Amino acid sequence: MTSSSTSTDSGASAQIKSTRSLDQCRKGETLRITELLAQPAFGEHDEEVTLRLKELGFLPGVTMMVLGYGFLGRDPLAVKIAGTKFALRRTEASKIAVATAEAQA
Amino acid sequence: MSTQALRFALVGNPNCGKTSIFNRLTGARAKVANYPGVTVERRTGPVSGTSTPANLVDLPGTYSLHVSSLDEKVARDIILGQMAGEAPPDVLIAVVDATNLRLGLRLVLELEKLGRPMILALNQADAAERRGIKIDTEGLAEAIGIPVVETVAIRRHGLKALREAIDQASTRYQGTKAEVISDAGASRKESVESLYQRIEQITAAHVIAPPDKITWQDKLDRFVMHPIAGLIALFMVLLLIFQAVFAWAAPIMDLIDGSFGTLSEWVAATLPDGILKDFLADGLIAGVGGVLVFLPQIIILFFFILLLEDSGYLTRAAFLLDRPMRGVGLSGRSFIPLLSSFACAVPGIMATRTVPDPRERIIAIMVAPLMTCSARLPVYTLIIAAFIPDQKVWGIFNLQGLTLFALYIAGIVSAALAAWLLRLRHTREEFPLLLELPAFRWPSPYHLLIGLRERTWVFLRRVGTIILALSIVLWALSSFPAPPADATGAAIEYSFAGQLGRLMQPLFEPMGFTWQMCIALIPAMAAREVAISALATVYAVGGETFEQALGQTLGQSWGLPVALAYLAWFVYAPQCLATIAVVRRETNSRSATAFFTFYLFALAYVAAVITYQVSSWLLS
Repeated sequence: MTSSSTSTDSGASAQIKSTRSLDQCRKGETLRITELLAQPAFGEHDEEVTLRLKELGFLPGVTMMVLGYGFLGRDPLAVKIAGTKFALRRTEASKIAVATAEAQA
Repeated sequence: MSTQALRFALVGNPNCGKTSIFNRLTGARAKVANYPGVTVERRTGPVSGTSTPANLVDLPGTYSLHVSSLDEKVARDIILGQMAGEAPPDVLIAVVDATNLRLGLRLVLELEKLGRPMILALNQADAAERRGIKIDTEGLAEAIGIPVVETVAIRRHGLKALREAIDQASTRYQGTKAEVISDAGASRKESVESLYQRIEQITAAHVIAPPDKITWQDKLDRFVMHPIAGLIALFMVLLLIFQAVFAWAAPIMDLIDGSFGTLSEWVAATLPDGILKDFLADGLIAGVGGVLVFLPQIIILFFFILLLEDSGYLTRAAFLLDRPMRGVGLSGRSFIPLLSSFACAVPGIMATRTVPDPRERIIAIMVAPLMTCSARLPVYTLIIAAFIPDQKVWGIFNLQGLTLFALYIAGIVSAALAAWLLRLRHTREEFPLLLELPAFRWPSPYHLLIGLRERTWVFLRRVGTIILALSIVLWALSSFPAPPADATGAAIEYSFAGQLGRLMQPLFEPMGFTWQMCIALIPAMAAREVAISALATVYAVGGETFEQALGQTLGQSWGLPVALAYLAWFVYAPQCLATIAVVRRETNSRSATAFFTFYLFALAYVAAVITYQVSSWLLS
């Protein structure tokens, strides 16, 4: 049941597919960041989390690669962005909207 | 020509090699203390090998002036000069990992806006060169407007250019006074996006980097971060560490134990009978020696922790364990503090400073003492040897070994449960992990040694202060008042501790503890293993093979349910004032400390009663 989570809203599945967030992506994919989204789970700290993500280099237009996952619930996930590796939880990853990029590396 | 030493501050991302540069620049002359009010370590020292005197302070690693943890707040406050009792730094030395330029340069550009004099040190220049990264330092210096030097902190002569730059800065800024920068002065005028645009421009003009390719690093990561293979590897690493801590340390511990024993005997034989002799032999030497015995284990454990930390492996362990630990309200970041607690809860609790989420940090502090520290081992082994038969179970396991293992597991499971319950008290709001996984590198023996020396000093200082003071107090409690002339029992029976033990005994009735066992609990507050010597005193056993003799005496006078209940008590009870003292200091809260003490004693009480009642019922 790992792939069913990609279509939470069955009515607009085509739309969702073109604007995925990082937590819905697979190991080995190369992705380009399109936007940073709000995530209510962080409550009042959400803007700070967005800022920290940006400061660490998670900015629209930047490409990254999904390296792998932790061992329970595919969480957290590891990405390589501009040569630096980061571990993010799914909640943080869900703030990052991505589009498939041409595989380069 | 006046030579007023200027204050230089090392600033940089975590894992950029800042502390290695600090160690190289200050050599063996650094001092480690805590900033007043907060428990972030403050490393300072004079710079060696420069022609002008300069003082250096190493700031905690930070990604941004927009802070997100206690460590980062301290770094920011010092950079701005807002930290109480700290003069603002005259010159900032920004350290950037040359293999990870973008992230480091972002902080540099943010700092540059503050207007403080600054030097940029491109560290790991050798690793960058090996990867084919070419940096035009002069062009970079011109583009940012500050001096740029290359450094290789792991090499002995890798900091020559930095020392020269420090000399130049010392001459140039001599006599100027560093100002405090207000929050308004530090507020951002430039967005993150435009900062990164400038970085793109700068790196496009002055840096040539080959395209990213798959390296041995990536292959290693694929293995150590693999959900199954990585977890097995982590388990093997932990097994090796525990093996080392308990097996390798044993001969040195025996040596220390033996020398303190000899010293104590020598004092007993040399000094005239009286209070001074008793105090030196039974109070001071026994008390301090009883704790110093754990130094080898602590050194070995920290050696492995430093080794794994410097190599970059520990963040991978945090990555693997984040999800399971989150199930009980912790995160991968608490893994290292809890691992340290297996040697001793005191350094473990101090290591929780690196946990950015304040709620998680409190929980980690609360459960750290449930990890079986090495001071419990002597108590466990004595009681297990006396009561648990040395027989095989299912052909391969030893029943005594299994019992010891079960006690460890009981601690871990209880910690998980306690953490889970403590988390329920708080709103379950998410806190980001956002953990950088630094590149793997070979740890440098020089930095390992300096790090180990630092840990050892911190521990020895505690032994010399708090533990020493406690030993004296507990000795006094166990020695006064002196027994009457016609006393028949052991001297401790007549002391305050003895009276207290008898007073306590009714309270401990439901778990079957005798008054002798209660008495032993009092000096065990200094260090758990002191319970053994206290039991030996009250049961008046002594001699060469004292452990064996004590085991036999206990075996005759306690029943198995009582022995098991005593073990259960030691799994939970906060039987160590040093731990309570460090919790008080680290939480800076009286109510948190009171809660900590109360909940652990309550757990110990309930666990011991249940163990006693259930095992009595089963055996009857």
